[in-house]
Amino acid sequence: MTTKDFTIKWLAYTLALLPIWFLEDFFLSRYPLWGVKPMLLPLCAIAVATLEGATAGAGFGLGVGLLFDAMVPSVPGAMILVTALLGLGAGLLAQYVLRQDLVGCFLCSVLALLAIDALRIGSRLLSGTASLGAMLTVAGREILWSLCFVPLVYLVFRWVFRRVPKATVL
Amino acid sequence: MKDFLKQNGILILVIALLLTLIVAVLSFTFGGIANPFANLAGIVATPFRNGIHAVVEWTEGIYSDVFERQAMESELEALRQENAQLRAQARQGEAASRENERLRDLLNFQQKHTELHTEPATVTARGSSNWSSTLTISKGSASGVKAGDCVIDQYGNLVGVIYEAGLNWSSLMTVVDVDLEIGALIARTDGAAIAEGDFSLMSEGRLKLSFLPEGTQLLAGDTILTSGLMSGGTATYPSGVVVGYVQEVRSDPGGTSDYAVLTPAADLSALEQVFIIKEFDVTE
Repeated sequence: MTTKDFTIKWLAYTLALLPIWFLEDFFLSRYPLWGVKPMLLPLCAIAVATLEGATAGAGFGLGVGLLFDAMVPSVPGAMILVTALLGLGAGLLAQYVLRQDLVGCFLCSVLALLAIDALRIGSRLLSGTASLGAMLTVAGREILWSLCFVPLVYLVFRWVFRRVPKATVL
Repeated sequence: MKDFLKQNGILILVIALLLTLIVAVLSFTFGGIANPFANLAGIVATPFRNGIHAVVEWTEGIYSDVFERQAMESELEALRQENAQLRAQARQGEAASRENERLRDLLNFQQKHTELHTEPATVTARGSSNWSSTLTISKGSASGVKAGDCVIDQYGNLVGVIYEAGLNWSSLMTVVDVDLEIGALIARTDGAAIAEGDFSLMSEGRLKLSFLPEGTQLLAGDTILTSGLMSGGTATYPSGVVVGYVQEVRSDPGGTSDYAVLTPAADLSALEQVFIIKEFDVTE
């Protein structure tokens, strides 16, 4: 793959990320369902990791983490490393254990969302600012509502995946 | 895994770790000022947010005109009646105010006066996290906004406090956010308490009033004001700003103390215009 191919490919993935970010940040955040809003940005990293593999997943996860960290209040910087690791993990799982399709993406998304909310619950438990029951309720609803968007996110990135060069060499 | 190692996967993870450390250090060093990545993302997003906000407002306006006309007419009638009652109360208040002024003059007391220096801003985005309650507004450090500034709505009700200021945007945590604690005053009894966010109440858009003075009998509808002190003891906003109204009184799970559930005075779900209090002078 030439540098030009490489640039076009990742530019295409980045452009595909934008409408999903807009949907989450500008639209869905205004109209919560069951009192919660879905988390779509991590799903983007998981979808790319499922399609492209571990290295690309970690790289795209890093980029998504930068955006996530900038737009969503959390421990400063933490989501950069977390989404990179989730991208890596999802890529490995999809490549070697599951399949690189919608089902694989869905299962990886479940694990990724569970991991993110487990970290949030852990940090809130440490600071003692919320009860476990209340946090589990929010986490459960958030994960369920977010999972409804996995097919949409996966299909957007698969559409890009089918139109860009396949081999990723960094 | 071999592919991952061959394709510089480790390098990506090292870069992610370094970026994490850089962002964490920058955030802790320049507390309240957005880190460069967040600032850049905010600067790029602000024009889009403004545009989308305008479109959403326009659409919601049309929807209200078409489908909520009857409800709006009923609301208008209720507001007219309330207006008439408030005018009557204002007339009584004016008489009391004049009497108060005369008595102050007699006792040589200076009139308490609060002057606010505000900056108007538009709410451009609502926080997309379920773990905090935040809003993004259209003014930032270029307009003199800084972390810790208090934000009120057009009626003077407390909306929240700025926690991060970018160049042309700022993020504020609303009064229902778990991380916000405010020194509060019960208007009817003058008793001091703490108004704070509670995780289980946050999703319902409410907050709680804890550390109630002993023997306090709260009534539903009691007005809660800011005392002018943050829990740390540093005044960052004026006293007398309306935080919310008592909805009900509950007991802690242990049953050792009571707390009140408050409804914020500001309508957080429908906020469009806010005012950032950049400075204030209180003359006692």
